[in-house]
Amino acid sequence: MIAWADRRGGVVDKLYRPRSIAIAAMAISALGFFIVLPPITQRSPLWPVALGLIGTLCGIAAVTRGVRRLGWLAVALGIVSMGLGVLATESSVGHLNNVVVWSALFASMLRYATPLTWAAIGGMFSERSGVVNIALEGMMLAGAFFGILGAQKSGSWAIGLLAAMGAGAGLALIHAFFSINLRADQIVSGTAINFLALGVTGYFFVDVYGALGTPSDIPRIPNVDLPLDRWQFIDGVFGNLNLMIWLSFALLIVSHIVMFKTPIGLRIRAVGEHPRAADTVGINVYLVRYACVIVSGMLAALGGAYLSFGFGGAFNEGMTAGKGFIALAALIFGAWRPFGAFSACLLFGFSYALAYRLPEYSGSAATLFLALPYVLTLIAVAGVIGRSIPPAAVGRPYRKQ
Amino acid sequence: MSEQVPPVEQPSPGEGPPSPAARLSSLQRAGGIVPPILTVIVAFFVGGLVVLATGHNPLTTYREIFAGTGLNWFFQVGSHEIGVPYSDATVWFPWNVNDIESVAAFNLQQTLLLWIPLVFTGLAVAFAFRCGMFNIGGLGQYIVGAMVAVWVGSSWVDMQPGLHVILAITLAALAGALWAGIAGFLKATVGAHEVITTIMLNWIAYWIGNFAFGQGGPLQNKVNESVPVSSDVAPGARLPVFWGDPLLQGLHIGFLLAIAALVVYWITLTRTTLGYEVRAVGFNPEAARYGGISVAKSYFLAMAIAGLFAGMGGALDILGWQFRLGQIDIQNLTLPFIGIAVALLGRNTAVGVALSALLFSALLNGTSTRNLDPEVFQPELAGNLTLMIQALVLLFIGADLLILGLWARAKRAGSRRPRVPTAEAPT
Amino acid sequence: MAEAAPTVLELKGITKEFPGILANDHIDFDLGRGEVHALLGENGAGKSTLMNILYGLYSPDEGEILVKGERVHFSGPGDAIDHGIGMVHQHFMLVPVMSVAENIVLATEPRRGGVLLDYDAADRRVRDLADAFRFKIDPKARIENISVGQQQRVEILKALYRGADVLILDEPTAVLTPQEALELFGILRSLTREGMSVIFITHKLNEVLEIADRITVLRRGKKIETVPKEGSTEEQLARLMVGREVLLRVEKKAPEPGETLLTVDQVSVEDDRGLPAVRDVSFEVRAGEIVGLAGVDGNGQSELIDAITGLRSMHAGRVTVGGKDVENTSARKVLDAGLGHIPEDRHRRGLVLDFSLAENIALHDYKEEPDSRFGWLFPKRLIVRARRLLKAFDVRGGGPTTLASALSGGNQQKVVVAREVERDPRVLLAAQPTRGLDVGAVEFVHRRLIEEREEGRAILLVSLELEEVLSLSDRILAMFEGEIVGEYTPDVTPEELGVAMTGGAREQVVA
Repeated sequence: MIAWADRRGGVVDKLYRPRSIAIAAMAISALGFFIVLPPITQRSPLWPVALGLIGTLCGIAAVTRGVRRLGWLAVALGIVSMGLGVLATESSVGHLNNVVVWSALFASMLRYATPLTWAAIGGMFSERSGVVNIALEGMMLAGAFFGILGAQKSGSWAIGLLAAMGAGAGLALIHAFFSINLRADQIVSGTAINFLALGVTGYFFVDVYGALGTPSDIPRIPNVDLPLDRWQFIDGVFGNLNLMIWLSFALLIVSHIVMFKTPIGLRIRAVGEHPRAADTVGINVYLVRYACVIVSGMLAALGGAYLSFGFGGAFNEGMTAGKGFIALAALIFGAWRPFGAFSACLLFGFSYALAYRLPEYSGSAATLFLALPYVLTLIAVAGVIGRSIPPAAVGRPYRKQ
Repeated sequence: MSEQVPPVEQPSPGEGPPSPAARLSSLQRAGGIVPPILTVIVAFFVGGLVVLATGHNPLTTYREIFAGTGLNWFFQVGSHEIGVPYSDATVWFPWNVNDIESVAAFNLQQTLLLWIPLVFTGLAVAFAFRCGMFNIGGLGQYIVGAMVAVWVGSSWVDMQPGLHVILAITLAALAGALWAGIAGFLKATVGAHEVITTIMLNWIAYWIGNFAFGQGGPLQNKVNESVPVSSDVAPGARLPVFWGDPLLQGLHIGFLLAIAALVVYWITLTRTTLGYEVRAVGFNPEAARYGGISVAKSYFLAMAIAGLFAGMGGALDILGWQFRLGQIDIQNLTLPFIGIAVALLGRNTAVGVALSALLFSALLNGTSTRNLDPEVFQPELAGNLTLMIQALVLLFIGADLLILGLWARAKRAGSRRPRVPTAEAPT
Repeated sequence: MAEAAPTVLELKGITKEFPGILANDHIDFDLGRGEVHALLGENGAGKSTLMNILYGLYSPDEGEILVKGERVHFSGPGDAIDHGIGMVHQHFMLVPVMSVAENIVLATEPRRGGVLLDYDAADRRVRDLADAFRFKIDPKARIENISVGQQQRVEILKALYRGADVLILDEPTAVLTPQEALELFGILRSLTREGMSVIFITHKLNEVLEIADRITVLRRGKKIETVPKEGSTEEQLARLMVGREVLLRVEKKAPEPGETLLTVDQVSVEDDRGLPAVRDVSFEVRAGEIVGLAGVDGNGQSELIDAITGLRSMHAGRVTVGGKDVENTSARKVLDAGLGHIPEDRHRRGLVLDFSLAENIALHDYKEEPDSRFGWLFPKRLIVRARRLLKAFDVRGGGPTTLASALSGGNQQKVVVAREVERDPRVLLAAQPTRGLDVGAVEFVHRRLIEEREEGRAILLVSLELEEVLSLSDRILAMFEGEIVGEYTPDVTPEELGVAMTGGAREQVVA
């Protein structure tokens, strides 16, 4: 919603906008937390508390000036960074150095965010055209399994990616047929697809690979080595990322352009907001929805493929473990926009990255970080921080006259 | 997905898609029990094709699965004198309930053990559905219930046994109600769509569970700190077994509670003012509001009651036969999701839920590792076959909604009172 | 005009049957260049079906369409658009969250580099087009932020942008204020001067005589006659439309008003968009009288009803029912204070269509004895009571356990009336109580309302049908743009009341 706000206006104007205040607030709070961590490792709890407090107050100021979503986010960040900052000053420097390696954290954030990004952007296409897709989870899983199957049988990761897209498109086709032509409840259909994917992938996994699982010599999606040695931090983050991560950045930009800068995007959005209006000017509603659902299946499947033979090198039954639902959450949290969804994916990816580094400290408490995406999305749909408004016709089957 | 009515064109309220409950009800009347049965047959048929395609014999596979369900126990009709509990009297009964050890009896006990939570999670979906909501949060509500049950059951070991069980079940049910109530509350106050909120609540519960039983978690056992499992439920907090061997997972009295829950479900909906309100809101919230019913309250209560059922289902599993809960259990939990298929296949009626829960529990048990002969069909495959059949059932329920809809419309069109088609054709 | 103009469009023998009803029965229709041809008929006469066929939304079972003499077949709106036919639907086909320009260029977008949407060109073209027809419209404005009248102009521009020279307008004035309607007529006149042809669908006689060159009257799917405007009168058209002289006279005694039972005191209400819909309205209704609230649809009546009945919160003011303050309480409190409410829309609000009649009749009382006790419902008692009421109100087509959806409209309305009257309310609010009913049912409802008046109830009748208000009411209030603009006795002429309802009387009241 905020992104719809007027974009014009002078630079000076911009600085005084509540939106800028909220962003500044977040930056201040983040700084408060940042300085107690390596490499600075400031040891006094006063700093994070003071800066966090300023951030919180600025956040409240932004909220009272009408920027609800970012404002509340700033308030939350302020409070969290105060708490975490104090905790960090209490713990030993050795521990901190182990957990907080910024470049590694960022790189791992990107690794965790990427499958989510693929699936979330896939979901965006489907939902923008008016078809709810809670089957992202199943489509990812299908992509993960059939991608690795294709790669292993053909000896080529590229064929594997094609196989993944095919599997995702296949499931999407079922979802599209049931929810568009048969006008079945899209939630029921999506739930069914999730089970179907779980059953089918599990079945063929056992049938093809048996108890031994996928072999270890799977052709993996390659990493891209960049000669960035001169900048240590940049190198640590971007030096050796998987191809799919780079492709996801491209996907992000392309999908933003398609959705908001092209006639195709205008038509997709029209179909998702008011299908009859689209129909009366001669747009084929069914065709648009079919295309979008299938694209959504292919993108989600590519996210799954990255999981099984990009990020890792093996398939396990049910290996997506809720990532499709986090992608859905990111889509909602990002208000059905590519960059919004991507930001949410980064945030959620960061919480994953932290969760897998913190056990050093806290045992299983770190897993609570994995609940964060869902808590934030719950708060977002509750409207506390500015409501996420979906496309108006999402979930409603369209009946041609 | 919240109701955001664009000011320009309201998608013609009268003709627009009615609430799911209203749609379902009209279809239910149209087809009776034929469509669900057809749905199941088609699902099994397609499942059989998959079995065939991968080089196995579907007929022997299904026969073997059936043998594992224990339902063949019912074929052994005879004449038996059965003792009445807590008395010396005996009554005549066609089935030999005294038989607690035969393979069929044991298998049936296991099937019925699974039937119990399926009934409860099925009712959790069904009750919310009757109020026009789609509760796919059974998983979270079940987890929360199970967690509270294991916590209460393994604490206060000195408590009086009967009281301990009741306390554990009650608190677990309330916890489930509270958890689902969050979704109901958000729906009632800000109109947040229950599908989204319950999905989120599922995963929040999932990770809280992983935290609680994980290393250093508050509910992890104190004996062996490397195992992410809770302490055991105290003997006094365990449910008595009334059929079968208590040491071999006999059937506990949760079975009777499940039957009671089905009856309560039916009575609540048809014989109480609360049920009247819930159904009115489910069919037509605007008319309910006009009639003086608080729609928000109904949403909240219906969701809370749904959670009550699911939480209780979780508690009975813990107190009845699992006696402990661990990270692995939570991670492998799909049973509450089957509740969705149970409710939809059972058309959200008490009898329907009971029957479709039996179908799925039999399928689950028949395909379990223990029951299936690997020579005939690998049990690992069979478990996935169950998932597929379940998915197909869900898909075809969606489809038969349509088939029935067409049929109902054709029937209505042929009847004496044609509806004047307005130029505004239905959206 | 018409005789000289070449025919641009012709429909021959169009027949369309829906399951169980013949919506269009061999209808002929033609349209000359530069002509406004009105399609007049009651609701359900088949006007919209015919136009949806012309626009390619339905395909006819029989008959043919000729555009400029050439036989055409439309398989969708796209084909109709290609042949220069544009349609402005009654419910606008606009995407609320998109801009004016985006809505207008949708599906025929100007491109840049072959791929990208050229927003600048879109804005420019829309602005040029709007300037050419002297429309004041901002191409960048979002649809949801502009007025209904402007939205309608966007719809017209949308058709013009696609090169339409035949414009179909489906009940275009239903959503407009009188001022906006006048502006619309001005626009249509300038369009026809440019050589456009217009088909104007309506059921309002005065509009037809105002704007049309020729008038075709439809009744029950059949074409009755096509007449030129010259020499036509409202009476003659009404006769063609309805088929017999409309005579709505209800026998009733002189009123004997008693104590005041409903007072509405300086009430202001906002609509869904937060705009003022009811402004500072005050009136009272006394026992034994019927007060009619007359007005054109959308002048705040619905919001006022909702506010009185507790279904919508009011911004300011007081409402008492039988002496009890009920403003901003709840629907339940208002019911308990003794208000019966026959709602505007029985499907949306009055009935739970999937409930049985017995359950529907219990909608207000299910919580009280004898229907229930301590939360325990007694279905048998509901049935017993329903059986009695259905008999008393002569509801046909089903018993207590029949679902409400299985009944005809008239019988459904009888069930609603039965339920509301049965509670013995002191105040009865009847909102459009005869909407969509057949003649027999209308008579029943009217007789019943008079009887309830004799019983000493205070009755507030809100209706869009002038005849109904005039024939039933003891006092008449005219409502316009959320205000009461005049009070009249039943011997007021329809013309005088009509003027008041459209804002003409405002100065007189002020003066």
